[in-house]
Amino acid sequence: MIYESQKIALNYFIVAALLFGLQIVFGLILGAKYVWDFDPLLNILPFNTARAIHINLLVVWLLFGFMGGTYYIVPEEAQTEIYSKKLANFQLILFALIGVTAIAGYILGWSWGMPFLEQPTILKFGIVIVALIFLYNIFMTMMKTRKWTVIQGVLLGGLVMLAGMFLFGVFFMKNLATQYFWWWWVIHLWVEGAWELITGAIMAFMLMKITGVDRAMVEKWLYVEIGLVLFTGIVGTGHHYYWIGTPNYWLWWGGFFSALEPLPILFMVIDTLRSVRERKAEITNRVALNWAVGCAVMHFFGAGVWGFAHTLPQINQWTHGTQITASHGHFAFFGAYAMLNLTLIYFVMPQIKGLTNFKQSLGIKSFWFMCSFMALMALSLAVAGIVQTYFQRILGMDYLTTQEYMKLWYAVFWVSAWGFAAGVVMFLLDFFRLAKGKA
Amino acid sequence: MTLSQGKAIFIWGTAISAVIFLVLTYDSLVQMPKRTQEAKLDAHVAAGKWTWQKHNCNDCHTILGIGGYYAPDVTKVMSSRDNAWVTRFLKDPEKVWPNPRKMPNIHLQDQEVADLVAFLTWVNGIDTNGWPPKPMVATAVTSLSSGEEVYKAQGCSACHTIAGVGGKVGPDLSKVGGKRDKVWIKTQIKDPKSHNPQSIMPSFPKLSSKDIDSLANYLAGLR
Repeated sequence: MIYESQKIALNYFIVAALLFGLQIVFGLILGAKYVWDFDPLLNILPFNTARAIHINLLVVWLLFGFMGGTYYIVPEEAQTEIYSKKLANFQLILFALIGVTAIAGYILGWSWGMPFLEQPTILKFGIVIVALIFLYNIFMTMMKTRKWTVIQGVLLGGLVMLAGMFLFGVFFMKNLATQYFWWWWVIHLWVEGAWELITGAIMAFMLMKITGVDRAMVEKWLYVEIGLVLFTGIVGTGHHYYWIGTPNYWLWWGGFFSALEPLPILFMVIDTLRSVRERKAEITNRVALNWAVGCAVMHFFGAGVWGFAHTLPQINQWTHGTQITASHGHFAFFGAYAMLNLTLIYFVMPQIKGLTNFKQSLGIKSFWFMCSFMALMALSLAVAGIVQTYFQRILGMDYLTTQEYMKLWYAVFWVSAWGFAAGVVMFLLDFFRLAKGKA
Repeated sequence: MTLSQGKAIFIWGTAISAVIFLVLTYDSLVQMPKRTQEAKLDAHVAAGKWTWQKHNCNDCHTILGIGGYYAPDVTKVMSSRDNAWVTRFLKDPEKVWPNPRKMPNIHLQDQEVADLVAFLTWVNGIDTNGWPPKPMVATAVTSLSSGEEVYKAQGCSACHTIAGVGGKVGPDLSKVGGKRDKVWIKTQIKDPKSHNPQSIMPSFPKLSSKDIDSLANYLAGLR
């Protein structure tokens, strides 16, 4: 850390860590509803409400992480302090207040009802204001010195794309098919577009700092990675347009381009491993290194392999809308984005707190707990999804009858989720120890 | 590879994909009104869509295969259930379908229920490129008898089991024809309480006499 205003990241990470913990609590409640039919919360916290909170917390804690990371990285890239610290703090408070209102609203039955975008319209406008404040602050910081490094250019591009795409999910449309058509412009072009750009930029920055490899090398491959990401990912949106009332040529376009989507991710794995192998600095922060390499690997399996497994229309027509998707969702979000944020947090925290050396054993343990139990969770949901696909779609058994045959795998999933939660608790303990500045 | 070559990959990769995507998007938006029968999308359907969103139905149910995976997909529900059944179900899910995994009663107004039925009926007409596909095994076997179709459409399998498939709330019907005759079965469908005043089975007096007859024929034939 060189600039005082990089410390803005700390509060963003604290909120992110707390929301991550809360997300897992709601996840465990949801899992229990799958395992036991008797649901004591049926009329207080029904499944739909708990799910809305679970997936909203996911998105929001990741966004807090991205924002904190951006506030940390941009001063070093632009070689100047953040344009306005006050604005950054105001933005954090405003975003947190909107988040709390949204969650309280869901519990009271106030919802807009599109998955991930359940926030009532007025809160969505609030989110747009948060995004505008954030982009303004970041852009003005970059304009102070106008050092357009590739890393900060890609980061800014990803953030602008993230904010811009959100607008396609704000308006009510009478036609459900059209509504879902644009809904994917938010959901897909976030996770397989904007977020990948942000991830690419943040990861490039961290690898450069952790391993000491040359900037020229890092930035060259960053261009290639995001070029491949957008080439495959933009038309790859078509793998969501197979069955929603859209023309059938999407089966060809979506199938072909989305089948190529694992390539850029494989590329990231190779790039990460090469940077580590050709490192020019001694790596002391082993926790951050673990998360960085782990992120590349889990990103590849969760998003790349698990996505590829059901992206072709010949397979997807049977698996679409089953637990296969839920398995992929858990694995990919964790591998690509939760792990990126955890890497970021472990990379940044010791620097903000000025800890040249810190106790790493709990951090490493939490890494292994989270990664291995998430792999088990993804596997058990995948088996549940295979059972569902076979019984319900191939044999034509009724949906609810099929669920009874999936219970064993829901139970394995739920028990694994407790293991994952244990990893999260370890992380939180370790995180707040670091936040207090204890080595 | 040089930095400028990397940059070229980025610019051209993005531009090519974006152009293809935008052209296909334009064409899709031109075709979708016809594919989704937008002519039939009236104020009731729109109100029903808002009811669907307002109550956050989509975070349990999937529709067009998207949403929560906790409850059945409703894209083609109106192909297998009639208006009366869906209306009765939405007013009190537990009474019509006492399944172990429950849907809460969200106390919908009559107008909301009617709008939802209109919405689901419209969704049922969307051309989804054949999704969800017909089950491989069911299509390989001979088609259903009309009595079996009534059994399926009325959701009898929520409570009853035939040949190992179905719910456990009501008695197993796999061999019901050996125990009950057709007349008894018809009475049971119309008024379950006439046989057992404590019966929790909902009555189906609104079914047409033809449907009751074919359902009774089908069940009486199970031995």
